[in-house]
Amino acid sequence: MATISTVTLSIPARVIAKGVEIPQKAQTIKFSPVFRLNQRWPCLTGSGRPSSVQPLHAAPDKISEKVEKSIKEAEEACTDNPASNECAAAWDEVEELSAAASHARDKKKESDPLENYCKDNPETDECRTYDN
Amino acid sequence: MAACTLYSTQCFNTISSTPSSKTHLGFHQRQVVFYTTTNNKRSSNKRSGNNNTGRYVITCAAGDTVVIGLAADSGCGKSTFMRRLTSVFGGAAEPPKGGNPDSNTLISDTTTVICLDDYHSLDRTGRKEKGVTALDPRANDFDLMYEQVKALKEGIAVEKPIYNHVTGLLDPPEVIKPPKILVIEGLHPMFDARVRDLLDFSIYLDISNEVKFAWKIQRDMAERGHSLESIKASIEARKPDFDAYIDPQKQYADAVIEVLPTQLIPDDNEGKILRVRLIQKEGIKHFSPVYLFDDGSTISWIPCGRKLTCSYPGIKFFYGPDTYFGNEVSVVEMDGQFDRLDELIYVESHLSNLSTKFYGEVTQQMLKHADFPGSNNGTGLFQTIVGLKIRDLYEQIITSKAETPVGAAKA
Repeated sequence: MATISTVTLSIPARVIAKGVEIPQKAQTIKFSPVFRLNQRWPCLTGSGRPSSVQPLHAAPDKISEKVEKSIKEAEEACTDNPASNECAAAWDEVEELSAAASHARDKKKESDPLENYCKDNPETDECRTYDN
Repeated sequence: MAACTLYSTQCFNTISSTPSSKTHLGFHQRQVVFYTTTNNKRSSNKRSGNNNTGRYVITCAAGDTVVIGLAADSGCGKSTFMRRLTSVFGGAAEPPKGGNPDSNTLISDTTTVICLDDYHSLDRTGRKEKGVTALDPRANDFDLMYEQVKALKEGIAVEKPIYNHVTGLLDPPEVIKPPKILVIEGLHPMFDARVRDLLDFSIYLDISNEVKFAWKIQRDMAERGHSLESIKASIEARKPDFDAYIDPQKQYADAVIEVLPTQLIPDDNEGKILRVRLIQKEGIKHFSPVYLFDDGSTISWIPCGRKLTCSYPGIKFFYGPDTYFGNEVSVVEMDGQFDRLDELIYVESHLSNLSTKFYGEVTQQMLKHADFPGSNNGTGLFQTIVGLKIRDLYEQIITSKAETPVGAAKA
């Protein structure tokens, strides 16, 4: 997998944008751990700025708001006719969003920024492991 | 290594040979049809009356992908099962690196897990407009599902759409390369008959209503906006579609893991102790059901006693033959939970046909993932066992494909 190797003089780069090949030139790109860039971005280092930004890993807050909103909508849709298709579709949406929220919560619980960094850059100083 | 298999077909009338097409792996895929008139001496799986002419198709393909189907409703433990399954094969399954961060696909060294939600034909707004739930077949593109699973099974990479659960939109497709083991998990893996025929093994997670309610409460009560009523309403509203489209799939499954409330505690409404049944279909190729004591007999077993001390309410096992939707099955049932390691080892040493590679492998796998939900009860135990069975099935299929002699058509 293509990765960018970043070299900074003083500060170790934390999370690196993945999937873009930069042969010789060392580029410093610094992002906070929750951001991950999609490899379909056009050239990162050069002329244009990317035209569209892929959605970031949705922060659970955003999903939580969606869940709340969808519950309200479902309750409204069902006041007229609880047996209608619209009611079922609305509650199905609530279920889908709740599942997405729970997955996001689990992911957030497990993600350790250092572990994430080291998964992709095991050769860096911070990530070296010694067996003996 | 390309393995060539011999198929006996009844429906070819012409001699034809398809030109070889290079798959992405660089293997050449050739299909040659021989037309012969013989008595059908070669063993054929299907025996039909009009066997005067035997026509043979030899397919040499690099595609030796084994396809497993896993069906369950949302919030029923598919993800946990997936993690256990991929762990049995070795390695951790992760989303494809460098791709869409909201991809539902998981890839490990041997296994690729595809979420069938990616084959939704209607996105969230589309479904809302039409008043259709995701459970409804109208919201899914079964033709595409069939084409792509077939292609992957034959060793051809596909561009699979991505359904983004966060935005509810269909994102641009991602490339999926054919793996050794392909798992398709979702609501409808066994709904379409063509896709069903592609599956080498299928599993259905059948969670009873009380347990489902308890699990969803556990999952959703932390969310703002949710209340007991909203969770209940959500389950009730989806029930008609679930019963009509999802539930009938369990009759086709080779293994059903049924989760019910415990019978050990009268009037239990906490739902912490579970009674889990592993219903295994008999007569499935490469799959030999797990049994207790003796294959085909009926036995009820309480392991707690002199050798093993269990805490309340203890553990109870049951094994016996049964019929399930008209099929012969063997049922292994566990009620209760494991509190200590030695209980697990003791139980494992008395179960037979586990397809473990060494003594204690089930226990080791359960301990490896002690933080997964269900690790102390039948759900984790049977999921692990089914994982080992799938590994065994995979190895048997691979060895049988390697052994089939090339050019075996002795016309």
